[in-house]
Amino acid sequence: MANYDDDLMEDAEEAQPPQRVRSQVNAVRKQKGRGFREGMDVDDERHAGRGYESLETGIGPGPAKSVEGWVIFITNVNEEASEDDIHEACSEFGEVKNIHLNLDRRTGYVKGYALVEYATRKEAQDAIAALQGTELLTKTLDVTWAFSKGPVRRARVGAGRR
Amino acid sequence: MSNDDFYVRYYVGHKGKFGHEFLEFEFRPDGKMRYANNSNYKNDTMIRKEAFVSASVLLELKRIIEDSEIMKEDDSNWPQPDRVGRQELEIILGDQHISFTTTKLGSLMQVQQSKDPEGLRAFYYLVQDVKCLVFSLISAHFKIQPIQR
Repeated sequence: MANYDDDLMEDAEEAQPPQRVRSQVNAVRKQKGRGFREGMDVDDERHAGRGYESLETGIGPGPAKSVEGWVIFITNVNEEASEDDIHEACSEFGEVKNIHLNLDRRTGYVKGYALVEYATRKEAQDAIAALQGTELLTKTLDVTWAFSKGPVRRARVGAGRR
Repeated sequence: MSNDDFYVRYYVGHKGKFGHEFLEFEFRPDGKMRYANNSNYKNDTMIRKEAFVSASVLLELKRIIEDSEIMKEDDSNWPQPDRVGRQELEIILGDQHISFTTTKLGSLMQVQQSKDPEGLRAFYYLVQDVKCLVFSLISAHFKIQPIQR
């Protein structure tokens, strides 16, 4: 169960024999589901012991570089947009290395977001600056970075959550 | 915890001839995305990756979950996890916290023939849409192709 609330607990858990993780936050929310009664099948094979790999992104705020470039995230994409539409809008800022324009599995139309990759930070930055708030097929695009170097919001210090 | 916190965790796996094979990912409120994919078939190794996604990615994920109306569903009439496999979906959204479990769903037919086709269908499509987003994020950031299951 979710224990993201407490990173200290998580660190301790990784060093110690495996134990089931229990959510620390149950009391304040309406709960629903068998997972609360049976307990989830969370065990050491899944989370304890070994760490997760991450890219060396440096510290501080700001976008994170991906393995082969810089990825921007576009939302509010019209469900009838095509990869060509996205490519056309994005290619004036640099060579587009890759596009993910995923479909809604039920309807088969575009889900509403796209990931677009550029080789350099400048190209990606230019695309974000120019495309943010513009219209594509009558919908106003929201264009930002896909990845961050660190948390999207700071943990509240001394908030008394523990 | 405040009520604008948002957390998502999904697990699918089974224990069999090739050990414990599973895919699991989570998104934490601070944007940390964790991804683990383990297949022992032909000595494949464990993939464990983590990265921070932007606030916009979290918002889109939240939109996808809200649109699915999964928070209105209940897993009490869904097929139980069994030897075939197990799926778990845990979401914290607003003042609600769901933790649903069911077996692996091989086809839409299985969903239609269940005791709760409407609820299970919401789960079935949501899981595919969220996996699709996660696979794109992982593949774009790390350039690895996740093991599809």
